[in-house]
Amino acid sequence: MGTRTEEDYNFVFKVVLIGESGVGKTNLLSRFTRNEFSHDSRTTIGVEFSTRTVMLGTAAIKAQIWDTAGLERYRAITSAYYRGAVGALLVFDLTKHQTYAVVERWLKELYDHAEATIVVMLVGNKSDLSQAREVPTEEARMFAENNGLLFLETSALDSTNVELAFETVLKEIFTKVSKQRQNSTRTNAITLGSAQPGQESGTSERRACCISL
Amino acid sequence: MAQAVAEDLLQPCELQDDSSSLGSDSELSGPGPYRQADRYGFIGGSSAEPGPGQPPADLICQREMKWVEMTSHWDKTISRRYKKVKMQCRKGIPSALRARCWPLLCGARVCQMNNPKTYEELAKAPGDPQWMETIGRDLHRQFPLHEMFVSPQGHGQQGLLEVLKAYTLYRPEQGYCQAQGPVAAVLLMHLLPEEAFWCLVQICEVYLPGYYGPHMEAVRLDAEVFTALLRRLLPRVHKHLQQVGVGPLLYLPEWFLCVFARSLPFPIVLRVWDAFLSEGVKVLFRVGLTLVRLALGTSEQRQACPGLLETLGALRAVPPTQLQEEGFMSQVHSVALSEQDLQREIRTQLAQLPASPSGPPPRPQARLPGAQAIFEAQQLAGAQASTRSTKPQVPSIIVQPPEEPAPPKPQRKPQTRGKTFHGLLTRARGAPIQGPPRSHRGSTSFLDTRF
Repeated sequence: MGTRTEEDYNFVFKVVLIGESGVGKTNLLSRFTRNEFSHDSRTTIGVEFSTRTVMLGTAAIKAQIWDTAGLERYRAITSAYYRGAVGALLVFDLTKHQTYAVVERWLKELYDHAEATIVVMLVGNKSDLSQAREVPTEEARMFAENNGLLFLETSALDSTNVELAFETVLKEIFTKVSKQRQNSTRTNAITLGSAQPGQESGTSERRACCISL
Repeated sequence: MAQAVAEDLLQPCELQDDSSSLGSDSELSGPGPYRQADRYGFIGGSSAEPGPGQPPADLICQREMKWVEMTSHWDKTISRRYKKVKMQCRKGIPSALRARCWPLLCGARVCQMNNPKTYEELAKAPGDPQWMETIGRDLHRQFPLHEMFVSPQGHGQQGLLEVLKAYTLYRPEQGYCQAQGPVAAVLLMHLLPEEAFWCLVQICEVYLPGYYGPHMEAVRLDAEVFTALLRRLLPRVHKHLQQVGVGPLLYLPEWFLCVFARSLPFPIVLRVWDAFLSEGVKVLFRVGLTLVRLALGTSEQRQACPGLLETLGALRAVPPTQLQEEGFMSQVHSVALSEQDLQREIRTQLAQLPASPSGPPPRPQARLPGAQAIFEAQQLAGAQASTRSTKPQVPSIIVQPPEEPAPPKPQRKPQTRGKTFHGLLTRARGAPIQGPPRSHRGSTSFLDTRF
């Protein structure tokens, strides 16, 4: 990581993956953080997470990516999941229209539990299965634009746009955060919303090295 | 020989489609030389044959004989010698006998006998299309590395589909919860689908009601109970978890919903299940508390986890040296948490639980704390049913020594004084010397048990 001076900051950005069961959240996570993909990754029960550090300019950004069960009934126990999240990837499966049709419900769920300023990207996953497409790109892109969301189509299987998706979200968060820092008198306040005591998200760290899991 | 090797080397190339590729060859032609399954069926698994940590073979033999004896008159055993059952379950049921013992412990055997046609009907009926899609998507995602579940056409995934579908038809208001997948899978590793189904029913309705339904309200309650127990039993760990912001819902659901099936080495999972089916949810709390202590019990461990992610990571990655089967289980069984303690804490937390915006409040009183309570409840239900109808009682197992003929049913008191016997006795006897037809054996469950 290199030595850090007083001027360098470490950032930790918490990003959550949301969307219907089976759209590919877990594989997007593993593709981005470990460059792995598995057809038979286990169903997510409860909460999974993984991290990866990326450089944005001179800043080292530790992305803390959270993944959870998509099935409806888990909503009852995963509201804590959103706490402190500064970014979200709302994932649907572009070969299953039903997973796109519920995107609005997921957005509502997100805004009910997370900060209003959260950066959101709509992600149409499984672009490798183009012959089975059920959601036209333009339709999803228009929806994203109308709702102030970023948009990309990805394939966790062949890696298309996975890096780009996460990096775009992280860059957007970083831009917001930098603006806020310029405006703020407290140089250490790097959250987008009210900070929870004991929460890590967006706080600067003074550790000797990045800890990855 | 070279031919066989060449075939093994060739097989991976044909598996290009996106169905579960690893498994079709091991289902059809056995695992290849580089894909050995361990003794539990996990391909590439590390559970070797019983090693130094395992009990010696003659002890296992002794335990097997004890269990055969106990299960041959189960009603008597569970009602009068439950302490012995509990103790033997804590020591671990010998692997050869789990298939016999689990359905007895959890009352599934009785459910099956009381509802002999139910599963067959459920298995034949078409499933609700919405649930079928969701279940179908998950079939290859349960224990994908276990040889039984590797192939979509194999009896593992097909059994899962059948059992999970049956449950959604049996309890349509409950539907399907993804955590039922791993639970059903562990059951199917030992039992045929019908038995596995009834065991799943018992787990979802009697051991852990309120866990798998649409609101999972009991999970929220138990998370609060767990925190309160941490505060009392592991106060420094509790304080650390609070400081870093790790609430129980970030790690407890997968542990409890899957009865640790995905969180511990498989031999320990089976030991936990033995105790859980015997003693109920208290075991889950004891295991959870033990794991938390092993992960964060020392101040060094807590210092190594300055933040939320490190702490969560530590909870998920208890070092293998701490997870030796006998040592771990003995720690579990010595956790200072009695059934009364637990019930008291549950009542306290239930009173403080904020009402959920949607969904019913949890009903922990519906939970039965283990095999004896289940047996008593089933007896009571059976007695109540028989006063209303002519439904037969839970049959008890009658063992007749082969030499003695069955005594005749007394219809009139025979006049025996000084008389030669004609009529009644000879008529009633039938063919006593050859031995009467043993119709009562049909009700003896243990002889039908499959291993």
